Amino acid sequence: MMTLTSLRRFLVRWIVIAAVWWIISEGDGSSLWLGALVALAAAALSMSLRPDGIPGLSPLGALRFAGYFLVNSVLGGVDVAMRALKPSMPIDPRFVSYPLRLTDVSARVLFANTLSLLPGTLSAQLSGDTLVVHALDCSGDVIGEIAQVEERVAGVFGIALAEASGGAV
Amino acid sequence: MPSLELTVRALEYAFYAAGAFFFLAGSVGLVRFPDVYTRLHALTKSDNLGLGLVCVGLAVRSGSAIIALKLLVIWLLVLVAGATACYLVAEAARSAGVKPWTREAQR
Repeated sequence: MMTLTSLRRFLVRWIVIAAVWWIISEGDGSSLWLGALVALAAAALSMSLRPDGIPGLSPLGALRFAGYFLVNSVLGGVDVAMRALKPSMPIDPRFVSYPLRLTDVSARVLFANTLSLLPGTLSAQLSGDTLVVHALDCSGDVIGEIAQVEERVAGVFGIALAEASGGAV
Repeated sequence: MPSLELTVRALEYAFYAAGAFFFLAGSVGLVRFPDVYTRLHALTKSDNLGLGLVCVGLAVRSGSAIIALKLLVIWLLVLVAGATACYLVAEAARSAGVKPWTREAQR
């Protein structure tokens, strides 16, 4: 049975996906009917794959996150380019296990994907409440940096994070 | 005013050149880095930045807001796809028991 909440979620997803189509078609209205149909199918698929919504959305947190992401993805690209091009190739990679404080699935996915694009970290495995991260250079405070990203992601959804429960390895 | 047009053109090509540099650096990393995990670092991060810079250059060239918005959306979609594919490759490698390269093991 479709509740009112899931109907609302479905409509929001339909509108967002249709808006993406509209932008990709450069605002050309003549193909919008086709876009609306495809977006309808995509929204239906999205609802069947993940019926739950996001825990909330903080516009200010999202804006802060966008700025943080932009600056750090530049730093991430520069960092890895330097390591690849330097003759000495300064890398000292290691896996680290990070005990997640985020509980919501959407927030965890955004967190894991963000980490992969930021300097020196790459999400490798999400199992239970632990995220296994591959660090390109383990000489710095990798866990501290990961925790900072997690706080930024929590800010997007307006979630407050508890103190880390387990010790990091 | 021709000098302004020239400045915009120069800016556009500077973004292309910077983007190409990071694509090249990512490819160098793909060749030089020792294992699947470190190679994923090179690909995801430098291609993210390389594509972003090329998109900025193209947006400058178009001088149109809707095309700039379209390029932004394309960049974001590629980011999501790239980060997701990167996670899937890393997870598959880990599940298959691919050992990570470490500096100590080389000494």
